[in-house]
Amino acid sequence: MQKRLVGQILALSAAGALALTACSNGSGGGGGGLASGGNNGGSDTNATYKIGFEGPLSGDNQQLGINEVNAVELAIDQANESGDLPFKLELVKADDVGDPAQAPTAAATLLQDTGVLGVVGPSFSGATKAVANSYGEANLVLISPSATNDTLTSEGFKAFHRVVPPDGLEGKELADHLVAKGYSKVVVIDDGSDYGTGVADTVEAGIKAGGKQVQRISVLADTKDYGPTAQTIAGSGAQAFFYGGYDAQAALLAKAVAATSYSGDKYTGNGGKSSVFTSGAGDAGNGWFFSCGCADATTAPEAKDFTSAYKAKWNTDPSTYSPEAYDATNAMIEAFKEAAKDGAPTRQSVFDAVNKLDYKGITTTVKFQENGELDASSQVINLFEQEDGVIKTLGNIQDQS
Amino acid sequence: MSDFLSYLVLGITRGSAYALVALGYTLVYGVLQLINFAHSEVFMSGAFGSYLLVHFMVGDGAATATWAVPFVILAALLAGAITGALVAWTLERVAYRPLRRRGAPKLAFLISAIGASFLLSQLFGKMFNRQGNNTIPGFFNTNATVIPLGGGAKINLIQIIVIGSAVIMMIFLDRLVSGTKLGRSIRATAEDAPTAALMGIDIDKTISRTFMIGGALAGAAGFLFATAFGAFSYNMGFTPGIKAFAAAVLGGIGNIRGAMIGGLLLGLLEALIPTLPWVGGRQFIGIQWTDVVAFVILVGILVFRPTGILGERLGRAA
Repeated sequence: MQKRLVGQILALSAAGALALTACSNGSGGGGGGLASGGNNGGSDTNATYKIGFEGPLSGDNQQLGINEVNAVELAIDQANESGDLPFKLELVKADDVGDPAQAPTAAATLLQDTGVLGVVGPSFSGATKAVANSYGEANLVLISPSATNDTLTSEGFKAFHRVVPPDGLEGKELADHLVAKGYSKVVVIDDGSDYGTGVADTVEAGIKAGGKQVQRISVLADTKDYGPTAQTIAGSGAQAFFYGGYDAQAALLAKAVAATSYSGDKYTGNGGKSSVFTSGAGDAGNGWFFSCGCADATTAPEAKDFTSAYKAKWNTDPSTYSPEAYDATNAMIEAFKEAAKDGAPTRQSVFDAVNKLDYKGITTTVKFQENGELDASSQVINLFEQEDGVIKTLGNIQDQS
Repeated sequence: MSDFLSYLVLGITRGSAYALVALGYTLVYGVLQLINFAHSEVFMSGAFGSYLLVHFMVGDGAATATWAVPFVILAALLAGAITGALVAWTLERVAYRPLRRRGAPKLAFLISAIGASFLLSQLFGKMFNRQGNNTIPGFFNTNATVIPLGGGAKINLIQIIVIGSAVIMMIFLDRLVSGTKLGRSIRATAEDAPTAALMGIDIDKTISRTFMIGGALAGAAGFLFATAFGAFSYNMGFTPGIKAFAAAVLGGIGNIRGAMIGGLLLGLLEALIPTLPWVGGRQFIGIQWTDVVAFVILVGILVFRPTGILGERLGRAA
């Protein structure tokens, strides 16, 4: 009953958002002109340009969005304070709750704001699919720190770029790892989401290609009782399982598995690796492995300055995808600077500058291929493990045995 | 076989939680012929209420002495029940009674219930930061084996607690309704409210207390659910609420024993889905079909027994 009502309200607001999007598309070029109207020289330090952020800032998946937006804000503050910008930067946050149904509304607030010349985000793959075309039509460039679904770079979303490797690569390398570990049977679980099924499919295919057995389970993403799922894992006789899904649910699965007699290894992907998992699962999360195309900001040497600055500003350690969001934002700022060299930056000139970027960040070198994917040499998958309630990095998954 | 036993135990555990919530729907329907759609939020609030108390008593739970555990569990159940009863009482006062006084149509109650449900869910979301996973402090080892069933199957501590307290509460409720003065007035109100009023029963008071009894059961179930399945959140009520409502209908809405049986049956059916045949590492009907299976069976039973397994009406059955 509730969900139906929510659905109707969403449908209404989405319709509104679409209408608004259409308006801003119509005046896209003019909008850019308006923003640059006040500073023809391009060297006017009083000019203000905006970087948008779209991601979940409330709801079940808010932690991931908060990890990211904090880093985005930090990067923008640092750039403003550094004094070598020929303009001022401002952050505009749009909360999409990580939900494809709410993403159009969030995107509309950024698209309508003609001062927004580039967007960091969206955080989630499903939400990205819902809005990537609207951004593309408005020439508003996207750099996502965490949308990892494969198809995002093959569906012709011209605005979309990401600083993390796709799930396909993560799933493939993880499957290779599982095969190399010699498990004869692996249970593969997905939560029915775009991300979860995508990565689970790749892992399943990879393990089968390696000549090992797979038992596949799909679960509902809103389940709270993972008892039967955990029992199926325990009863399957598999030596390992992989869960493709997000942190909050992975934590519940971890608890349910701990209640059974299962003694094999436990894996999940980048969606499960976060403080929500560690705090939700508690001791039950110890011994879980995580594959992630991300870097550990608390230990990676290049990231030390970032970690201390983040901690000073937000009073907590950076978590999953904070360093990636920091890189994405700094890359975006770099593109703004490039664009500002030839007069006042517009959505179009920032767009072009992003495609030409070659920026060395703390987690990776930001240099995009034509489809928005990082240069192949920069795509690294790391393996992590939770020990005593803390997720620690073990290094490149290809070097693990 | 040991797998099957494990699923059976899981099903009874889940079913007990459904049954406790289903009782609230059925009790209120019995006296008012009204589906209290905000009941799922009463269940949710019980989890938060018990969390606050447990957190106050044991902190993060790490240093809880063994002798204190039963007392904390009892206190948590009580806290959940009291929170649930208070929320249900308020709900009746604010969302239903004014409508009843003015003789509003049934549809108005439904809208009022949905509004109250939204309000409560979002209110708790606002107060507790909308976290997806709040956890009750782990003050005892929920997984400790109590009764080994052989072959790795077992009944663990939390399952005993859930099933045990559900059974005790259901027996208590059954006695309350069939053997006490309050129970008699509930049955009389359910049977024929105007006549009951003529016989000197305070209808308002009886309805209010019926809400509180249902709320207390759901609130306690909130604590049990949160402890057994590892997390609670402001939006935890929706799915179990719908399932419990389905369970109440399955057993015969308005019928107390029907709700108990309906809840257990639904929980069992859901948990047994993984025992359906597997072909080549996949299941034709797998765990993601849980809701489909549950509701297809519900519809199937209602086609042949439109009033549910045990039939309707609180007054007649008890």
